[in-house]
Amino acid sequence: MLLLIQYTLIFASVLTLVALGGCFSEHSGVINLGLEGIMVMGSLGGALAMKYLPAGAPALEIILLVVLCAVLAGMLYSLLLAVACINFKADQTLVGTAMNLLGTAAATVIVKAINTAEDPDNVSSTIQYVNAKKAFIVRIGSFEFNWFMVMAVIVLVLAYVVLYKTRFGLRLMACGEHPQAADSVGINVYKMRWAGVLISGMLGGLGGIVYITAGVSEWKFETGVAGFGFLALAVMIFGQWKPIRIALAALLFGLFRALSNVYTGFDFLTALNLPSSVYNMLPYIISLVVLAFTSSKSRAPKAEGIPYDKGQR
Amino acid sequence: MKKEKTSLLKNSAVQSILASLLCILLGLLLGYIVLLFINPTGAWDAISTVMKNFFTYPSRPAAMKYFGSTLVKTAPLLMCALSIQFAYKVGLFNIGAAGQYVAGAGACLYAALAWHMPWWVCLILAAVAGAALGALSGLLKSYCNVNEVISGIMLNWIALYSANLLLTGVKEPASPYTNVVANFNSSALLPSLGMGKLFTDNQYVTIAIPLSVLVAIAVWVVLGKTKFGYELRATGYNKDAARYCGMNEKRNIILTLVIGGALAGVGAAFMYLSGYEQWQCTQSSVPAMGFNGIAATFLGGLDPIGTIFASYFIQHITSGGAYVDKTMYCSQISDLISSLIIYLCGFVLFFKYFMNSRIVRREERKSLKEKEKLTADSAAKTEEGGRK
Amino acid sequence: MEETYAVEMLNITKRFPGIIANDNITLQLKRGEIHALLGENGAGKSTLMSVLFGLYRPEEGTIRMNGKEVSIKNPNDANALGIGMVHQHFKLVECFTVLDNIIMGVEPCKHGFLQKAEARKKVVALSEKYGLMVDPDAYVRDITVGMQQRTEILKMLYRDNEILIFDEPTAVLTPQEIGELMEIMRNLAAEGKSILFISHKLNEIMAVANRCSVLRKGKYIGTVNIADTSREELSHMMVGRDVQFEVTKKPVEPGKVILQVENMTVASKLHQNKAVKNVSFQVRAGEIVCIAGIDGNGQTELVYGLTGLEPLESGRILLEEQDITRTSIRRRSAMGISHIPEDRQKHGLVLDFSLEDNLVLQRYFEPQFTGKGGFLKRRNIREYANHLIEQYDVRSGQGPVTAARSMSGGNQQKAIVAREIDKDPELLVAVQPTRGLDVGAIEYIHRQIVAERDAGKAVLLVSLELDEVMSVPDRILVMCEGEIVGEFDPKKTNVQELGLYMAGAKRGAEQA
Repeated sequence: MLLLIQYTLIFASVLTLVALGGCFSEHSGVINLGLEGIMVMGSLGGALAMKYLPAGAPALEIILLVVLCAVLAGMLYSLLLAVACINFKADQTLVGTAMNLLGTAAATVIVKAINTAEDPDNVSSTIQYVNAKKAFIVRIGSFEFNWFMVMAVIVLVLAYVVLYKTRFGLRLMACGEHPQAADSVGINVYKMRWAGVLISGMLGGLGGIVYITAGVSEWKFETGVAGFGFLALAVMIFGQWKPIRIALAALLFGLFRALSNVYTGFDFLTALNLPSSVYNMLPYIISLVVLAFTSSKSRAPKAEGIPYDKGQR
Repeated sequence: MKKEKTSLLKNSAVQSILASLLCILLGLLLGYIVLLFINPTGAWDAISTVMKNFFTYPSRPAAMKYFGSTLVKTAPLLMCALSIQFAYKVGLFNIGAAGQYVAGAGACLYAALAWHMPWWVCLILAAVAGAALGALSGLLKSYCNVNEVISGIMLNWIALYSANLLLTGVKEPASPYTNVVANFNSSALLPSLGMGKLFTDNQYVTIAIPLSVLVAIAVWVVLGKTKFGYELRATGYNKDAARYCGMNEKRNIILTLVIGGALAGVGAAFMYLSGYEQWQCTQSSVPAMGFNGIAATFLGGLDPIGTIFASYFIQHITSGGAYVDKTMYCSQISDLISSLIIYLCGFVLFFKYFMNSRIVRREERKSLKEKEKLTADSAAKTEEGGRK
Repeated sequence: MEETYAVEMLNITKRFPGIIANDNITLQLKRGEIHALLGENGAGKSTLMSVLFGLYRPEEGTIRMNGKEVSIKNPNDANALGIGMVHQHFKLVECFTVLDNIIMGVEPCKHGFLQKAEARKKVVALSEKYGLMVDPDAYVRDITVGMQQRTEILKMLYRDNEILIFDEPTAVLTPQEIGELMEIMRNLAAEGKSILFISHKLNEIMAVANRCSVLRKGKYIGTVNIADTSREELSHMMVGRDVQFEVTKKPVEPGKVILQVENMTVASKLHQNKAVKNVSFQVRAGEIVCIAGIDGNGQTELVYGLTGLEPLESGRILLEEQDITRTSIRRRSAMGISHIPEDRQKHGLVLDFSLEDNLVLQRYFEPQFTGKGGFLKRRNIREYANHLIEQYDVRSGQGPVTAARSMSGGNQQKAIVAREIDKDPELLVAVQPTRGLDVGAIEYIHRQIVAERDAGKAVLLVSLELDEVMSVPDRILVMCEGEIVGEFDPKKTNVQELGLYMAGAKRGAEQA
């Protein structure tokens, strides 16, 4: 049971972080379907930092550096979306999809190149980080408390304050709702959209590193992040683009995702004798069902997905 | 002479081809740069190996044989590309093609191995399975307002785990792979009609290859020449206008995704009923075929005929990736290049806009010059007249 | 003695590919005056104002303020110089409050955090000073159009703007609200603000402006003192010829009932309430019935209900005594309803299709155009398109293969009118058929509508333009808040009376 709570919390943290990322991007008016790829890149940045940090480094240093690298990697990768969709008015769905494919392919190529360079016989795309990972975990009895959970809460509070209490948040949301109105009062729509996309890149990258350190101590980059970026988008839609609701939705989805990791620990679940594939499917099925019931009255930002063209009014 | 040139550039088909070639060139260039970073010594060799694909074999028969293999994999890719394209014309992004492909694979393999059905039944079942998945996306889109991209992705994973579950029943006892179709039920293999001989006895060359080209032509005809295609295009361009004039938008959305799903499902049958590949029942990622289809369809300029060539090109470099020097690079560099190409396809509209604005500017300058010349001429004439 | 102007736009020229939108235009605005800018749709008014507001850069010409040359590169520069604008389509974020909308762009902040309390004080003070009553905490999506406009005006005042531009501000208001707006404008001018009032409505200009500058087809025609001119002179300047204000038509001879609507109720998607409430009326053969009212009072939903775009919640529709309440859009069209839609680009045309494909949009499935096996008969489509293009004088660059997107608004509308009238309908539903068109096209479309009526068809016209309401129909039904609140004979009523009903101030039994 404790294990279930632990996994639920850590997966909910991932989903909250990434969904908030999506939330910032969409409030600025850009649909970020590339979150999946951004997560991969963020996790790659973090994993490499863990790999190359000296073994004896203090925990705080490790945490800060790993987070910094993941955030930076995610942000740099989101530049691809920003340039294409904001400045060149490319199709946001197409570019997002390309970024997902590119993320996995590039991460695999990079990791394999690193592995092969170290040892010509190693052609795997796996990075191990058993030792570094320990820095993030505080054991409380049998419960593994993870600093990332705190980070998710902090980001949640920050996101709420930024969106609803600051000038930046007001302007950002104006760009996603009615960019022409924002422009007419002198707000630079392109700039705000860039900010929205870059923030989503940062949060997506952070979510990526949290995801690959949840439960395991090595990661095979060929597998990407298994649709988690899209689950986060479902969480965002279910959360109606509002931070607090997103966090609640993330808890629900996190629970179902956690089940697939720990269902063997529950006697009544093992008694059902269902194959593991069923538990693997569960989060996706749940999200489809939830979306089917919540999408019809969705309150998405009005101008999302529409490239802003200054000349067109 | 010069006039002809500008009018050729104005032609939107020519523009599409130019834009696609530009995407390919830039994609290869970026891929090359990545290779240079990884290991500068072998970069040129690697990129030319990717481009050469089967030409790396010195003997002609061997090259023909592997040319055949590339074609074998082109057929399913083309089907996935057409699936995405068909939906895109109606304004839908069928990213679920990957899952529909998986569903088709599960259905046809299970029918072939568990039920011992002949190939054409397996083919139909594959189409039905893909169509069913497409229908689900369509229903969710038209009745619950669920974005087809999100539902498609979710269904991709559901299809993957379902297929794994189903096909575990017909797998080899010692490996995670499904039984070999040729050994268990050779009636389920697609007929080759002797085409294998053309490709140095490549037994995987089947009617799938000509069939996929025929389907591409059929898609072209349906979209461009029929009432149904007219409705679909109208819905895709402006669904409000389509509704206004009485077209049934919901039905068209569902029907489109059903057809798209069937196309992708058949694509899977073209792959697995040729016996070229076995399904791995422990797969933890959705096969790339459906996603590469996105690259092919956009690279093909969203035109069925162009997509035939684009599919071949994408498969050509994907297959070529298998030949790179493994001590320096991995085969995924071809994935890298094709995803770069997809990304660049996002700029196609900009490329075209750029070309058009260049043409307009040039023409304006020309007409301005002509005008100036004219006024200068007339001024000269009046001057002459004045002198007289 | 040389007078210094608040704003001078001197010799402004702005070109777009293919056209000269502003050709050497000069406009001088005095301090404290209301200066009207008159011109038809497409005359270049909006372009000129966009230049002043920093949205476009002109190729030639200079802008001076208080005698000094200024450079306005973007709306920020305009704001800094004290130029504010109420756009024709309001630039308000619907899911924000009135206060948020007013302060957006000039938010009072401490370390990046919003300080709304002081902003509210200033807004309340301003709204009291100028009599602009709004609730600062209401969401924009919940307030009336009139209040939205006051929010826009407050936006300018909050920024301490001295030059106020009103772009077609009366299009969405009732006659009474228009009166109030004019009072507000006079107040503002009295406080020393300078006002540019863009309009194509002569009556309003005569009522409120001090001076008027006229543009025609991108060219500057002249500036006159309102005190020294007349409606006729202004219209002559605007159009370049004498304009007939009246629509000529034969006396009405209504025949049998074509359309009968009984207790129609339609739900509104936007606001979760009933957009059309228990409405009943008839349209007879050979008459034009006009639904008048202010935008957003259920006319759109009424038409949607009639044509099948929205289902009815209750009630019945009869077309020639047949119940069509539950029949599909396609079936209704086949039974003889033609529909010229409100928004020609949203509903009326597939802009990426060619003109010929658009001309068969309502009948592509007929055997004449679709053969056996579902193949389109391209040659027949081309012939039919050529026939319509010629008969209805639809002008386009390359004839039937022109992309609809590249056509002018007037010709797009002509194509729709051609398509809908050529279907030979029993009932023609025309919703704001002349919106955004110039006088020539308006006259043409009015003639076509009257011709349909004279041919014995029933016509239901939905209009927001009072000039049109008074001149075209044989009978007027006024709609307010989803109900028909009065019926009038255009010959026996006047704008003031209609206005009271449109605003909901009066409602009554049928009046002959």
